[in-house]
Amino acid sequence: MKTVLMASAAILLAGTGLARAEDKTLTISVYALAQDEYKQIVYDPFEKICGCKLVVETGNSVERLAKMEANKANPVVDMAVVSMADGLNAARKGLIDKIDTSKIKSFNSLYDIAKDPNGDGMSVGYTFYATSIAYRSDKMKIDSWADLLKPEYASHIAWPNVTTNQGPPALYMLGQALGKDTPDLAAPIEAVGEKKDEIVTFYEKSSQLVQLMQQEEIWAAPIGRFSWAPFTKLSMPIAWATPKEGQTGGMNVMIVTKGSKNQDLALQFMDFWLSTDIQTKLAEKLVDSPANKDVKLSDAVANNLTYGEDTAKSLKLIPSAVALDNRAGWVKSWNAKVGQ
Amino acid sequence: MFQNRAEALALVLPAALFAAAVFLVPVVILLSDGFRDPTGGFSLAAYIEFFSSPLNQAVFLRTLKLGAMVTVVSAVIGYAAAFAIVGLTPTMKGRMTGLVVLPLMISPVARTYAWIVILGRTGIVNQAFQALGISDAPLRILFSETAIFIGLLQLFLPLMVISLISALENMPKDAVPAARVLGANWFQVFWKVILPLTREGLVIGGTLVFTGSLTAYITPAILGGSKVLMLETLMYQQVSVANNFVAASVIAFILIVMSFAANILLKRVATARNKVRSAK
Amino acid sequence: MNARSLFIPATLFLVLAFLIGPFLIIVAASFSAGETLAFPPQGFSLRWIAKVFTVDSFRASFAMSMFLAVGGTAAALVLGIPASYALSRYRLPGAEIVRTIVSLPIIVPGIIVGLALLRYVVVPFGVGITPALFLAHTALILPYAVRVVSASLDNLRSDIEEAAVLLGSSRMGAFFRVVMPNIKGGILSAFILGFVTSFNQVPVSLFLSGPGVRTLPVDMIAYMEIVFDPSVAALSSLLAFLSIGIVFAAERFLGFSRYV
Repeated sequence: MKTVLMASAAILLAGTGLARAEDKTLTISVYALAQDEYKQIVYDPFEKICGCKLVVETGNSVERLAKMEANKANPVVDMAVVSMADGLNAARKGLIDKIDTSKIKSFNSLYDIAKDPNGDGMSVGYTFYATSIAYRSDKMKIDSWADLLKPEYASHIAWPNVTTNQGPPALYMLGQALGKDTPDLAAPIEAVGEKKDEIVTFYEKSSQLVQLMQQEEIWAAPIGRFSWAPFTKLSMPIAWATPKEGQTGGMNVMIVTKGSKNQDLALQFMDFWLSTDIQTKLAEKLVDSPANKDVKLSDAVANNLTYGEDTAKSLKLIPSAVALDNRAGWVKSWNAKVGQ
Repeated sequence: MFQNRAEALALVLPAALFAAAVFLVPVVILLSDGFRDPTGGFSLAAYIEFFSSPLNQAVFLRTLKLGAMVTVVSAVIGYAAAFAIVGLTPTMKGRMTGLVVLPLMISPVARTYAWIVILGRTGIVNQAFQALGISDAPLRILFSETAIFIGLLQLFLPLMVISLISALENMPKDAVPAARVLGANWFQVFWKVILPLTREGLVIGGTLVFTGSLTAYITPAILGGSKVLMLETLMYQQVSVANNFVAASVIAFILIVMSFAANILLKRVATARNKVRSAK
Repeated sequence: MNARSLFIPATLFLVLAFLIGPFLIIVAASFSAGETLAFPPQGFSLRWIAKVFTVDSFRASFAMSMFLAVGGTAAALVLGIPASYALSRYRLPGAEIVRTIVSLPIIVPGIIVGLALLRYVVVPFGVGITPALFLAHTALILPYAVRVVSASLDNLRSDIEEAAVLLGSSRMGAFFRVVMPNIKGGILSAFILGFVTSFNQVPVSLFLSGPGVRTLPVDMIAYMEIVFDPSVAALSSLLAFLSIGIVFAAERFLGFSRYV
């Protein structure tokens, strides 16, 4: 029995020792999307350049931020990519450091809106996306965000939960459509609440929508452009709506953990990721719309992304401070009107 | 029976200390979070706040209701299935028990996802209903309490069937024929003979099913989503979205109290019955 | 055939269809040529089965789950066998308390265990995620180990070892020479039960994941959050056949079901 004990202790030690075998390790925290492509285009080439090992944690923005906060005293992650609002949130909570943009060579090639999205020098945008409605063009016609709640459509749509990145922007646009766009989103939340029994689900993971669309459970859902690609593979007519109120969207940003021992490595990694070459490759695989304006794309690729300065400027983004200051209130009124 | 107490303690302590250190202590600390006010004193404020929210009340009642329904229905189906299996030849009995246990070997993640396909608007259940004329338009089953109920029932029914099979097998062979000879009808046989004699199996199965239903995470997460929250999914949301560890602690305590209460309640029922029997 | 004699096989058939049906659909979907989980499957192909082996994170998390299931079960048995022996052979004051403490992990929801370990063991003591997962899985398997091993000890008459002790063998010697060979099957059953429990465990591992460290079921959920193709169905089928194979072999050679 002693041998069993010692063997398991040895396995245990071996398991923890693995990470120590490499001298330089950069731990990054990213969205779970398209990890195969990231590995091929970003992670593997970077590991070769820096001679270091990349450890990747994946998950959604809020979840990963919560973990960073839990580990504040003893940071695990060196660099993270989160939503714009969570970037500000991390700054307010004292989890991140100012970014030394002089170490990022391609910084001046970024679109202006990506250079310092929150105006505090703590984050750099690496991609932005439009949020609109993916819908079955043979079953419905979408001219306005409010069309989704029409009686004949409401029982065939999925709406993003208020806690997801797409939730508040979608509600914000619905508010515009209803002509009542206050920062507390009271009117749109009320409107969704009135249809809560009809709406198929309040989704949290956009990947599930492809399945639901395929089995005709839903005909339409507000989504971010980054999750559009799989819908195009389904054998049914699915279109990207251009509602008269316009498109909303979001931006994702890079942040550097305060107290990280690998800040230089983290900046080197960000420099690599933001370079024209890498941003072009990511765009060509339809992974991320580029934040680097030197990226040139073919029309076919550009049509499936959120591309170009004009598009970037036309997106109606919710300012981070508004999102952050109202988030608790949104969730509260959502739970009261929609949640139960 | 050996008497050496020191030896016995030496054998038992490693396991007990391990479970206490890894399990009991962290969980107790977590639970105590919900009973503290910001200054560290005792307070029930978190509980009052939790139960004053209509959403939380609804989630609490739904969890209790679904847990009870799954337990009762699995008992009814479980008796029928266990009867059928106990009456088979030994080889067939082994095979059928194997088939009942089979789902336990499959990842609950996959089992739950299968229901998305089956229960969808174009899934086989709706196709069958429409073909048989039970309904004209496809029914919406996904993302409802019904979907969670079906998912949980499939997940935990095997535990009930197995408990009841062993209970039925331990029942005296001549009990049922004797009652029949004495003129009891099938309902009376079940109620007066089989139920009392298999009550312990029912208690074990019932506790497993009820506790399982309360603490399942995947099934309500996938088949109910945020539209039909249960305590377990609400708790996950509180931690990972709202970052509210106090609310999570409150939910944790409620869940533990519910499983303990069910366990004790069912045990009481069983021992009360045994006392009656041995008194006779 | 009267109504009653038809009733029983019909019930059995319906119950089995309900229990096994979803599994068959998963297996069918694994061989589908379509882009999403669908039944009936759209065409036949092995592409999703093949895809399972190309996903890097599946390989890493499979290794992690294997390590936890094997290592955790072994550790639980090392702790659990002596405890079961003491509980069934010694008159021990407080035996009930020990039994309760050891079996708590079954009653307390896994999600709470994971959260408690994260907040009060991993973060304050700087314990790595891997050791924390190992501790959690060991604690989780311990109740099963104690229960199954106790059951087989209770079925074994204690006068054999008492006789061995009377004949001059040490208590320890009697245990290894007389008791162990007789409860081998029970130990193996506990091992399989522990393995399956740990391998399919989700809630405990949900919060206990870190950069590069994830168990297979949690990784499957994470994968489905981004891609919704049948490769997860394919992976589940492969795993199911693996577990069924193990249990079948155990049943065939050791009579596994006698102990569970």
